[in-house]
Amino acid sequence: MPTISSAPTVHTVRITDRRELAPGVVVLGFDAPEMVRVTRPGAFVMVIPPGGESAATALGIYEADGRRASVLFFVVGKRTQELAEMRVGDELGVVGPLGNGFSLDGLSDVAIVAGGVGIASVLLPAQALVASGARVRLYYGARSAELLVDRERFAREGCEVLVSTDDGSMGHSGYITDLLAQTDRRPDAILACGPTPMLRAVARVAAEMNVPAQLSLEETFACGVGGCWGCVVPLVGNSAQAPSFPPADRNGSDVVYARVCKEGPVFWAHELRW
Amino acid sequence: MVDLSVDLGNLHLQYPTLMGSGCYGSGEEFAPFVDLSRIGAVVLKSVTRQPRLGNPTPRLVHTPAGMLNAIGLQNPGIDWYLEHDVAKFADRPCVVIGSVAGFSVDDYAYTVEKLAARDEIKAIELNISCPNVASEGETFACDPNLTGKVVRAARAATGKTLIVKLSPNVTDIGAIAREAQAAGADALAVINTVRGMSIDVDLMRPRLGNVTGGLSGPAIRPIAVLAVYEVARAVTIPIVGQGGIETTRDAIEFFLAGASAVSIGTGNFTDPRIPMRIVDELAEFLRRRNVRSLKQIVGKANVGFANPYQYEGDEG
Repeated sequence: MPTISSAPTVHTVRITDRRELAPGVVVLGFDAPEMVRVTRPGAFVMVIPPGGESAATALGIYEADGRRASVLFFVVGKRTQELAEMRVGDELGVVGPLGNGFSLDGLSDVAIVAGGVGIASVLLPAQALVASGARVRLYYGARSAELLVDRERFAREGCEVLVSTDDGSMGHSGYITDLLAQTDRRPDAILACGPTPMLRAVARVAAEMNVPAQLSLEETFACGVGGCWGCVVPLVGNSAQAPSFPPADRNGSDVVYARVCKEGPVFWAHELRW
Repeated sequence: MVDLSVDLGNLHLQYPTLMGSGCYGSGEEFAPFVDLSRIGAVVLKSVTRQPRLGNPTPRLVHTPAGMLNAIGLQNPGIDWYLEHDVAKFADRPCVVIGSVAGFSVDDYAYTVEKLAARDEIKAIELNISCPNVASEGETFACDPNLTGKVVRAARAATGKTLIVKLSPNVTDIGAIAREAQAAGADALAVINTVRGMSIDVDLMRPRLGNVTGGLSGPAIRPIAVLAVYEVARAVTIPIVGQGGIETTRDAIEFFLAGASAVSIGTGNFTDPRIPMRIVDELAEFLRRRNVRSLKQIVGKANVGFANPYQYEGDEG
């Protein structure tokens, strides 16, 4: 995984555009040239709540081009509702970029698996891979066709797009990992972002295919910068990503807790002990 | 120029803002975007005698106007900590306060002595009130006798400023505070988190891996203000008020209740600019009222205030 080379900053940004891709699915674009310059595919930001009284919200950086970056999120609670009500011209505090991001060097044939809002963290790696000449196939699952937001965008960016829906309203009816398991084309890497059950399924399929998988984990954050140890995940003690910490014995295996926000959010599937 | 400085025992702080233990790492994590020279002190994450893996996940749940946490004192143990981590604290542009937790009086004495011996550590906070380590961690702060014992042992282990962090999960916090002062505490941190729980009604099970957790954030602010108010009537040593502070006016509530300094924990998760904003706005608030020193408003809203060292009457 890449090491973090640039320090995150608190950016006070102005919202330049707002799109509702589906009911309750919002993209907020903002002017943040300094952040765009140092953003890595797979990095995230902590969005400071305009009204206070709750922790900042961790959101994947969806787009980063020129002066403009954006976040894509589903309205799932009070914090995301507050953000969804922001308008063009409003000011927003954003801490970032944070996290390690995906490791893309040397990949030529990549399967990207995205579930639901996980799509927010995979556009930048898809763009970077296509630009480097890699073949990219996007496996994209959601609850319904309506929530397969921006799927045409990924096709336009040069990805082959396979979709599934829980309700069968588009593509394969069932889990997106079913399609991944059925593929006759063995990629040289799998990148995935989505709900934890999907990521666990990706890890299983990747192990069966003997393909290294990089998973961008979803976890509840408090600080988002490595200060509180609230978002940890068990990791093999000899992982290059293991934090400086003496491994402790856990169920007979040599495991350490790594912070999803700091050592991650992207981890090698085979190094997780979750 | 408004004087915002505060003295906790023999520790002098330029600013009355501490960063709460367990919320701020070692300061390093926030240093890229916070000017640490403009905060009073960082209170480090608690260290124990033995390494601790911490609690099972999930460890965090967001709740209305706050959050529950149950980290479980994950830390590398005092030996590893002294060898690998403490030297890095020397170059922090703010005062660094160590935090010690334990499971016996002997644990506390041992760990305090080792940690306080280091020059990088300017004071020790005694965490006798962690609600997330079975029932043991909080036992000390819930019993006046045990509080007295553990504070005396820590007092004997160091001459550096000793701040004792109290629990709100007690019937009479004033009685505990009096014991801590009698046993040699230089200051009291009021309060640690309030015990709480959240259940996922779809999965029909507790949301936290540890089942119970500690509630923090604006949801507990009135509980904390009252605790400071009560402790201020019971003791004459300074109080570090904490619990849901997000704005300057929140902080001023605590000063008026009797706190000499404040600590920001969960507020840093909301917005890391809060500590710097409070220092700026606090000076402005006092200047506009012709108050020259923060000390003049400490306890001003507390009619039975006991602290003879801080309160300077009604001038200004």
